[in-house]
Amino acid sequence: MVINILEIIISPVLAFIIGIFFMGLFRKITARLHWRYGPPVIQPFLDLIKLFHQQGFSHGPVFDLGIIMALAGSIVLILFIPFGGICPISNSGGLLVIIYIMLFAPLGIALSGGEAANPNISIGISRKLILALGYEVSFLLALLALMTYYNTISLVDIVEAQDNYKWALFSPLALSGIAYFIIMPAMLGIRPFDIAGAPQEISTGPAIEYGGKYLGLFNIWHALSMFVYIALFVDLFLGGGSNPLTFFIKMLVVFILLTFIHGVFPRFRIEQAIKYLWKWPVIISLSGLILITVIR
Amino acid sequence: MDRNDIKKWFKSPDKMGDKYSLWAIYFCTGCGIIEIPPVITARWDAERFGVIPVATPRQSNLFLITGYVSVKTLRAIIRTYEQMPEPKYTVGFGSCPINGGMYWDSYNTIKHLDKYIPIDGWIAGCMPRPEAIFVAVTHLWTLIDQGKAKAYVKYREKYGLYRKNQEMALGKLDWPPLYTTGGGND
Ligand code: SF4
Repeated sequence: MVINILEIIISPVLAFIIGIFFMGLFRKITARLHWRYGPPVIQPFLDLIKLFHQQGFSHGPVFDLGIIMALAGSIVLILFIPFGGICPISNSGGLLVIIYIMLFAPLGIALSGGEAANPNISIGISRKLILALGYEVSFLLALLALMTYYNTISLVDIVEAQDNYKWALFSPLALSGIAYFIIMPAMLGIRPFDIAGAPQEISTGPAIEYGGKYLGLFNIWHALSMFVYIALFVDLFLGGGSNPLTFFIKMLVVFILLTFIHGVFPRFRIEQAIKYLWKWPVIISLSGLILITVIR
Repeated sequence: MDRNDIKKWFKSPDKMGDKYSLWAIYFCTGCGIIEIPPVITARWDAERFGVIPVATPRQSNLFLITGYVSVKTLRAIIRTYEQMPEPKYTVGFGSCPINGGMYWDSYNTIKHLDKYIPIDGWIAGCMPRPEAIFVAVTHLWTLIDQGKAKAYVKYREKYGLYRKNQEMALGKLDWPPLYTTGGGND
């Protein structure tokens, strides 16, 4: 009981620290790929300190509530995802619950942005939702393949089934894993899919009206959602981890690969992104699902 | 650079946060903006000092005014400045915002920018080299450290005066006053 409560407290804190660390590493690696020196790795943390003592502008109660709702959605999501040995409430619900809670955070951001009534925000949010329409198809197909193969919807059971290096990525599920990996930049909103928050086109889209502590909360939400998607990939396809350290190392590898993709690609236009997302990832994950149903 | 001085971080996190996370807004006024791309990209890389460009005034706390200010731009500058959250810092870049520079007799530019918005520091030169921006940033750090970079407080206190000057240059302003306090004649 006590251990469970401790885990419920610890896992969001760990996710916050890792998410912020990843954001710093992200900027540093991108800088090095551009042949720059780059900021220190703790720079996002310094930014947070500044943002939380700056004055912030509110645009109304829904503006405040929306961002808190997004943050709460991400924190609840983290509790459902096993992190190494730490899995507070992951044995209740499983993948189906995760799919539903995942909708929570973008909706919160959309609500809060809607209150601010800036035209760039509506463009950004509609782009974000269109993008979600693009990647969700292959995401769900990949999850379906997993659930069919392991015959369970529980995330803990899936992780256990991959014990002793029987990683899903090196099994018949490889195709689904590849599909998940290539839609991951779209999920995280990094290049080549940073259409929703493009600073040069629509002034960072949904984040445009956030300043001060609101922007701080927004950044924390971003860090947490980065953690969630990568941790989910590690749990589903790389066999989780026997302890938090191995889990973290696996996350780090996946994250650095994603950063390389971010560092070298330019941005897609929205219709190019949809064309791409509905073509290659869907073909790959659909053939993965067919393969699974045939061999089972 | 005392960025890694943990003791200072605990003593005054506000000041240190302001110092090492200056977010400059994208805002181009004159020819001086041509020096900004090399500053933020690979050649001079301002990001290693924590200076990054951001796209909206709400997120920024550093305002670089890069070059001559025409009367039309002044309107946008004032509106942008008033939207930035406090604490905010402004730096005039180039001779033109200081005293008119080579546009000293132009009918369509304003000569002294600090009559209209408060300025924390100037970079002289026509146009200044990118290194000058880093010198300005380090000077700004010193000013923040000593608590002297308080132009935004001055704006609040003397708002009536600034508003009067703005109305003199632009005619009637079509936005309400930012502060109701701060009389003109003190
Ligand atoms: S100071 Fe020189 S470079 Fe800068 S805006 Fe004036 S004329 Fe242009």
